[in-house]
Amino acid sequence: MPKTVSKKARNSAFLRWIYGNLTCFSQEHMQTFGYLAAMLPVVDELYDTEEEKVTALSTYRTFFNTEPQIGTMVVGLTVGLEEARANGEPLDDDTINGIRAGLMGPLAGLGDSIIVGTFIPILLGIALGLSTGGNALGPLFYIVAWNVAMYFGMKFAFDQGYELGGSAVEALVGPQSAALRSSIVMVGTMVIGSVAATWINITTALVVPFSADSSLVLQDTLDSIYPKLLNFVFVWFCWWLMTKRKMSPTVVMGLLVVIALVGVLIGFFNPGLSY
Amino acid sequence: MGISMIQAILLGLFACLASLPGMGGTTIGNYTLGRPLVGGLIVGLILGDIQTGIIVGASIQLVYIALVTPGGTVSADVRAVTYIGIPLAILAIRAQGLDPSSEAASGLAASLGAAVGTLGTVLFYGTATLNLVWQGIGWKAMDGGKWDTIKKTIPMVDFVFPWISHILFSFIPTVAICMAGESMVGLMKDYLPMDGIAMKTLFTVGSLLPAVGVAILCKQVVQKPLDWVTFGLGFTLAAVMGCNLIASALIAVFFALINFKVEQLKTARPAIAAAGAASFDDEEEEDI
Repeated sequence: MPKTVSKKARNSAFLRWIYGNLTCFSQEHMQTFGYLAAMLPVVDELYDTEEEKVTALSTYRTFFNTEPQIGTMVVGLTVGLEEARANGEPLDDDTINGIRAGLMGPLAGLGDSIIVGTFIPILLGIALGLSTGGNALGPLFYIVAWNVAMYFGMKFAFDQGYELGGSAVEALVGPQSAALRSSIVMVGTMVIGSVAATWINITTALVVPFSADSSLVLQDTLDSIYPKLLNFVFVWFCWWLMTKRKMSPTVVMGLLVVIALVGVLIGFFNPGLSY
Repeated sequence: MGISMIQAILLGLFACLASLPGMGGTTIGNYTLGRPLVGGLIVGLILGDIQTGIIVGASIQLVYIALVTPGGTVSADVRAVTYIGIPLAILAIRAQGLDPSSEAASGLAASLGAAVGTLGTVLFYGTATLNLVWQGIGWKAMDGGKWDTIKKTIPMVDFVFPWISHILFSFIPTVAICMAGESMVGLMKDYLPMDGIAMKTLFTVGSLLPAVGVAILCKQVVQKPLDWVTFGLGFTLAAVMGCNLIASALIAVFFALINFKVEQLKTARPAIAAAGAASFDDEEEEDI
């Protein structure tokens, strides 16, 4: 008899995700631990031996970050995929993580623009109108409308993802699988490239004066070579340190702190903020 | 009139729940309790003046109506804006004897909120950095390979340990600043100036760190040097052509479709694939 994830375990994964997606946030592993905590009851139920459980959960050690509310769908999807894998479908870690990486960028864009950038401002706009003169009806309206809409919205996204996971497997392990997988990883790689240009913002403040009225603004020069060049340089540098120099992410981060301090001292970096 | 110890403790507790990586979760914490309008109601309830609370909350809310925090880059910290900014604004409005619904009052509230919001980004980085320690505990459990330990540790790491980060970076600062009142804000501005080395380095590190996260992703997908070209195309779409992530993803899907068709043809016509693959690729033959 094929294994299925019980309704209880699915519900537990859903609740753990919608509560804990960002509770243990760090800049290095943004939503990774929320994901691990959500997948834990599912993995625990699907596999019998300790070794299988540890191996399956280790798939989700990979960095994850998206707009967490719309991202509920990805969690539902991987619950479906994990169920298929437990039934012997040959899904490897790269496929599952390729799907996650390919979805998180576009879903973040969608979620940020639709939920955070459009839905919330609309609700708040109505609520502000209701709260004229300090009327508590305004904030109460927002609390109820937002939470009810999001709870059912996220439940829908999770269930849709779960059902999709089961049917997506057919395509992922069938004869066309190699073609599909390389295409999915391709989408993932391109989206990660866009993420590197969108979510990272590294600029230099260095200005080299030549004479009284001429100076070299390094950032302008870099922009004319290639826009956001420093983002690319730093991502590549971190990747190089981790793959070729076998450094752990924590050591790389320590190195970045040193680079930041030296950069600030020589005037290369200056966030230029003020109160 | 100041804020009592009990009131400050309640404000501190809500600050823990409402932060961006907050203990109330994303939907209920950050996007409900962290919105200044909702915070206005809560601060009003705590300080015993709901009406002023909501009026002040509403004028600060206008500034942050579309506060989007893509990829964890934070320009203003909601816990500070809402649970430090609103109480201080209420105090200041009372101290200066302003009418809460006047324009002067809402201007004062908005600028105070923005000031503590910028200040509060330090709290955001503090919380996120200390969480690295808890995540370290989680990785250690995962590496150990003992399921019972993992099953106990992961929920602790995600749901319980971050409370310690919040006691240090949400609770204590909120309680201290609210009790000290508005003079505290000026004091911190003087002792930790934005153009000082400490603050500059802190914000620079904040801008460099996301590169590590993206590099970890690259480690996953970049298998051969030519994959950097694929990465570079995505980078170019966003950096040079100004595509947002949805547009980039759509273009990526288009190229992936072409790639899929090509790969599909290889599978459908084994002879061509074999002829093509024989010269450089061993893996393809295994598939056939």
